[in-house]
Amino acid sequence: MAERASILSRTIATPVILGLLLTAIALLALLMGSGPFNQTIIDIFIRVILVVGLYIFIGNSGVISFGHIGFTCLGAYMTAWLTIPPPMKKMALPGLPGFVLEAKLPFWVGVPAAAIFAALIAFFFGKILMRLSGIAASIATFAMLALINQIYSNWEDVTGATSSVVGIPINRSIWPYFVATLVAVAIGYAYSISRSGLALRAARDEATAAAASGVDIPKERLRAFVISAFVMGGGGALYAHSVGVVTPDTFYLGLTFISLSMLVVGGMGSLSGAVIGVVLLSTIIQILRLFEKGVALGDTVLTIPNGVQEIAIGVIMIVILMRRPAGLIGNREVGWKGFRKA
Amino acid sequence: MAQKLAADMVSVAFEGLRALSNVTLEIPAGRVTGLIGPNGAGKTTCVNVLTGFQKPSMGRVMLDGLDISGLPAHRVRQTGIARTFQSGRLFADLTVHENLEVTGVGLGLSRREASLKADALLDWIGISALSDRLAGGLPYTDERRVAIGRALMLEPAFLLLDEPAAGMSAEEADELSRLIHRITDEVKCGVLLIEHNIGLVLKTCHSIYVLDSGEIIEFGTPDAIKASEKVRHAYMGTQADAEGEIL
Repeated sequence: MAERASILSRTIATPVILGLLLTAIALLALLMGSGPFNQTIIDIFIRVILVVGLYIFIGNSGVISFGHIGFTCLGAYMTAWLTIPPPMKKMALPGLPGFVLEAKLPFWVGVPAAAIFAALIAFFFGKILMRLSGIAASIATFAMLALINQIYSNWEDVTGATSSVVGIPINRSIWPYFVATLVAVAIGYAYSISRSGLALRAARDEATAAAASGVDIPKERLRAFVISAFVMGGGGALYAHSVGVVTPDTFYLGLTFISLSMLVVGGMGSLSGAVIGVVLLSTIIQILRLFEKGVALGDTVLTIPNGVQEIAIGVIMIVILMRRPAGLIGNREVGWKGFRKA
Repeated sequence: MAQKLAADMVSVAFEGLRALSNVTLEIPAGRVTGLIGPNGAGKTTCVNVLTGFQKPSMGRVMLDGLDISGLPAHRVRQTGIARTFQSGRLFADLTVHENLEVTGVGLGLSRREASLKADALLDWIGISALSDRLAGGLPYTDERRVAIGRALMLEPAFLLLDEPAAGMSAEEADELSRLIHRITDEVKCGVLLIEHNIGLVLKTCHSIYVLDSGEIIEFGTPDAIKASEKVRHAYMGTQADAEGEIL
């Protein structure tokens, strides 16, 4: 009987290759050097974080969650509460507790605090929601999203209700976003090779047999839920620092749909799929946006009508779901010799 | 290791319909106990009760002196009672090796420990060659052996096999019978074998319970069961008369 290589050495190629891909994207931004392009790359990094966050729960558990963007909302507002200069906070958000009103914490404290806050809330929601399965679980997560959105859209004193919360310190360097993305990918990878990740994928395939194998399914689901909420919350905080403004509706159906699309296009059951789906769809979106604004080709300016970008994403989704129901990468992961089964 | 798994006056009712009435049976360690009966007699319900997938409406499930009737399925497995399913139910997107690893992890091992145990067990059953295949694409017989392997991880005290020979040829069923005896002899498991293949049960089991319409109607050695008028009647009542002698 040959000694089997450890799980780490068999699979480490995946995060390394994904890390190299992200590094290449960061270097591209550095080479181009322009402000708007930098912002585009930062957007891509944040998307990668959000979709990896979704993958951790959805990919491993097989339960589709429509609620995870709620955690992004929680994270974005948490870092806003902690990092906006106190005079502005006292004007706009007077209902915050005193110690928060006085706080002026740096970006690098706000983001982890936001991630932890989102994870904590996920723990309480998850205690209840993780007992559900299948479509009931999905609808319950959607209810959670609506709940969070309603609270943040109406709690005037604390969230500014539907008006924009401004004054969040903006960070335009790509490096914090790059590092955070690497951390998110590392967390996604670590979870997928963990005991809990394996047990949850077993429950995804055959819940009854997983229970008969000693797997406590609600407990493992809760773990994935909390870890993915941590990543989603951190991603929301980074989003807040990338644009300086948050509103509750930024983190609602639109972002939920596009993030889920990216995960589905790449391949729901694969970390590589999550990352590659984002990079691919973001690139297509950027190119179409460019054409919507008009591209000069010699003397003529080529312009496509507004809205084509959204329509194209919808069409791509449908085509991929028809041709490759498991997504571009399926359940496989990238390795040195192409793809291997996850 | 526990010495005895028993159902004590277990009844199960589904919306007024009695699936099991006052079933009392004992599965001793290190022996093969058979459970046979016509279709719909309640055999699978009985396994579900013993493994925590079905709560009894009345009665208790006892592991040695311990009442385990209320435990959820994953906790029952952790006390050392394993089972397989009629339909295989492998984790289709995981490899054969990972299928076994899941049980190790479910029972508290690290992935490394679980991986080593899985390798050793696959070797013991003789299916190491399948190790890295995806479980979803396996032929029927291999699927059954993987399912038994998955249940055997960390040597459970009791193993409940729900129709493991369904769809097998006579030769494959013989091989299964040998595997079951290796399990009782080498792993010291108590095995409960539920089968439609009466020949296999008579050949493999030390003692046999016969279930009909949710009640135990007979218990004895294979020879006693073969001779039983009651058993003959139960089977004749539901199966084609043309077969004449069934047992």
